[in-house]
Amino acid sequence: MKRNIFAVFGLCAALATTPLSAGEITHEAGTTDVPDNVKRIVVLEFSFIDALASVGVAPVGIADDNKRDRVIPAYTDIIGDEWVSVGTRKTPSLEVIASLAPDLIIADKTRHSAAYDTLSEIAPTIVLDSLGGDYHDSVAQMAVIGEAIGKKDEMDARIAQHKATMDAYVTQITPLSEGLSAQFGVTNATGLWLHAPVSYNGSLLEMFGFGSAMKPAEGDVYEKVYVPTTLEQLSEVNPDILIFGAYANPSQVDSWKGETLFEDLTAVKSEKVYNVTAHNWSRLRGMLAAEKTAADIVEIMKK
Amino acid sequence: MRHASSTRLIWTLLGLTFAAIAVFLWSLAAGAVRIPITTIINTLFDLDGPKQGFIINKSRLPRSLLAFCTGSSLALSGAIVQALLRNPLASPKIIGINSGAALGVLLTFIFAPTLDLNWLPVVAACGGILAAAAIFSVAEFAPVSPARLALVGIAIGMACDAAVDFILATSELYEVSAPLVWMTGSLWSRGWAHLNAVWPLLVGLSAITLLYSYRLDLIRLGTAQATSLGLNVRRERLALLALATLLAAISVSVVGVLGFVGLMAPHIARQMVGGTHRGLLPVAMLVGAILAMVADAAGRALFAPLEVSAGILTAMFGAPFFVFLLLSSFPSPIQ
Amino acid sequence: MTALRGQPGSVPLKISIVCLTLAIACGTLFSLATGGRTDVGLADIFRPDGLARTVLFDIRMPRTCAAALLGVNLGMAGLVLQAITRNPLASPAILGINQGAALGLTLGVVLPNTIDLPLDFYALTGALTAGVVTFAISGGFGGKIDSLRLVLGGVAVGAFSYAMVRFTYTLDDDIARSVIRWTVGDITDIRWSETKRLAVWAVPGFLASLVMAQRFNLMALGQASARGLGADPRITLLLGTVVAAALAGASVTVAGPIAFAGLIVPHLAKFLFGGDHRVLVPTTALLGAALMLVADGLSKTLTAPIEAPIGVVAALMGAPWFLWHTIFARDVS
Repeated sequence: MKRNIFAVFGLCAALATTPLSAGEITHEAGTTDVPDNVKRIVVLEFSFIDALASVGVAPVGIADDNKRDRVIPAYTDIIGDEWVSVGTRKTPSLEVIASLAPDLIIADKTRHSAAYDTLSEIAPTIVLDSLGGDYHDSVAQMAVIGEAIGKKDEMDARIAQHKATMDAYVTQITPLSEGLSAQFGVTNATGLWLHAPVSYNGSLLEMFGFGSAMKPAEGDVYEKVYVPTTLEQLSEVNPDILIFGAYANPSQVDSWKGETLFEDLTAVKSEKVYNVTAHNWSRLRGMLAAEKTAADIVEIMKK
Repeated sequence: MRHASSTRLIWTLLGLTFAAIAVFLWSLAAGAVRIPITTIINTLFDLDGPKQGFIINKSRLPRSLLAFCTGSSLALSGAIVQALLRNPLASPKIIGINSGAALGVLLTFIFAPTLDLNWLPVVAACGGILAAAAIFSVAEFAPVSPARLALVGIAIGMACDAAVDFILATSELYEVSAPLVWMTGSLWSRGWAHLNAVWPLLVGLSAITLLYSYRLDLIRLGTAQATSLGLNVRRERLALLALATLLAAISVSVVGVLGFVGLMAPHIARQMVGGTHRGLLPVAMLVGAILAMVADAAGRALFAPLEVSAGILTAMFGAPFFVFLLLSSFPSPIQ
Repeated sequence: MTALRGQPGSVPLKISIVCLTLAIACGTLFSLATGGRTDVGLADIFRPDGLARTVLFDIRMPRTCAAALLGVNLGMAGLVLQAITRNPLASPAILGINQGAALGLTLGVVLPNTIDLPLDFYALTGALTAGVVTFAISGGFGGKIDSLRLVLGGVAVGAFSYAMVRFTYTLDDDIARSVIRWTVGDITDIRWSETKRLAVWAVPGFLASLVMAQRFNLMALGQASARGLGADPRITLLLGTVVAAALAGASVTVAGPIAFAGLIVPHLAKFLFGGDHRVLVPTTALLGAALMLVADGLSKTLTAPIEAPIGVVAALMGAPWFLWHTIFARDVS
């Protein structure tokens, strides 16, 4: 109820004084009026930490799956180590969130939409599609977050800086990636999931000029973002460059070493199989993360 | 079957009511964040002093009430099913109602994810009704023993579970994250909206069930005897099955599959006050409510900030208890 | 024990064997012809060249063999369980044995290993424990087995094990993805080493069942008669439990729990071939192999290019049958 009244207020204010009031943010679950001076922020996905860290803001609470080391030094160097863990990203503890008395909560669309109303009772909540979106979506989300925390100008500047950095990387990588196809996948003890071109990493690789061997078959649109892949299917995809992020050691891919079909893969024969930190590439999904990924790719291309 | 004397019944009811209130208060106090009693009282009655508005009023209070409602509804549903099947080891979970409701809600999540919360009880009820209808048709058109009915229920439950597994296995992993959480039987993020969507229905259905106490006794005697006592058995069975289905399915729609409450509660009640439904039903309701509240509160408090689903806890404690019942029950369940 | 419908052995045995062999052949072709590479198909099976040869021999054949062996193992386990409990609804899944094995595996993964034991051991222990508990509940070790109590006990043991498995991965997200595989049967990345493990259990399991076939026949007459004829039912029960648990446990370690295979296959076999276990043991094995081969092919084609886990396909195939059976079959108590 309160939210609706504020929304109406905001709309009137907006009509009265263009441009739009900075406090009204449109997101995946609707529109929320966010107070101007947001100090205490709780984030429920890693990509949101990235956004805050980009402009030097420290969240008071993070859903870190109860594992503090998932927030990598690149972030803790900026935001410090003071945050409180609010539990898993899947089911964060609403009580702990509430006890932190936040001014703003940033939640993920797929995981927390069902809890949106409840979260809104604690504090103004914005919902963004962290899990499902690709790289360009993620940058757009950074802008939304920047506006929500009242640091629109700083965030815009940072985004511009990020775009410049990424453009530099693109210029550096594109000539090297000419005509090559690259594929990223995460693997654990029991399986391999390739990240389709519509995924975060897929779109990043595409931006750097790599082709994708994962063409949708026969005109199907690629709907699935993370595709479970068997060795046979991998041999059919057969990219020039393979990048794996392993969550377990030994991983499923390790168990394929020595098999003819695996050794016959183009990437394996030309020794273009690389291992990266799965957590950084797959879970983080932000600007700092993208820059790290780009740096990793440069490393890879240099080899 | 022991007959409960009235005094015993009254004492039991009183004792359980106190226990329920105590558990309810504990549920308000238990959770990831330690809150002193004074703060709880301040918040509840809006007195001066430190308060924890969200946690108490918006989270623990509706969750505890929801656990109370669904726990007692599931218990009632279990009591009805046990009477209908004339087998004290049956439950709505076992006869497939829960699985049917779960399938209904999962399909909704997949195909209509933006559906308003208020429709969930309806969808779940439809799923549960379909499952129950299947069992009922069998009961109607093929003369089978109550034991066979229970097995048919298990089969229906397994069929629905197969469909659910298929959907979960072939969907995008992150898309089904939310329904997966819900399906384990969890009150995470449940609030007043969920409670308000179901409590009038559940209270109404419970009241009707209580009025049916006498008829449940008759049905438990067996078809022949019930008919000779003037009962239109067919119609009553249909009505009772509908009640049991709705009670279970509506509960499942907001808290997911809370296993074993529908089985444990009526049985514990039976041990306390005997099998006459006038006493059995209210006692079972209270026991079910207590069980659900304990599971929810424990799940919140034990591994904070992690939340263990209430459904996991009810199965972890319910299954051994069920086994204990099986071992100590009469040599042959009443056929 | 009479067959469900029709006379026992109403189909002449020779024809049945021929049909079964044909079924297995078709199933094998179906399973081999489908897979991740769309360019390796039916034609390549008969004239395999370089790439197709690798794909077929290294990847598809072990998987096909595994599917067949799973059918054998689970079919045997189901047959044995149904014989020793004299309950046509017994199976490794319904009696909680599959889930017990999964729990054993999970504990093997989660608990710190002071002794380095292979995972098979944990699965087997879990399976055995679950089986023993279920039988104890049903009164099997004392006097009679109560039919309903057996099934309900299995439901309880299964539900408890399943809840414990989910509980472990609530606490640790990383385990979740590995463990989820053990909640539904999946043979996607099987190679010869795992297939060999299945074979290692299948052969003695099959032989043991064959040897005990006559005991199973005697069990069907009733425990008193069996004792009178010199086959102590408690020994049959014990040996049968060990065989079934070993077969089921091995299958769960390699592929995860597959419901319904152990339930449907013996039924179908009894329906077609009558109640004599000396005939049933081999025919159930062949039938199980055939059905699982078909299920494997289906798992690759139903939701292409995504593969549906074979356990889920088996459940979809088996559930309607199970439902039909509980409603219409005559010999359910």
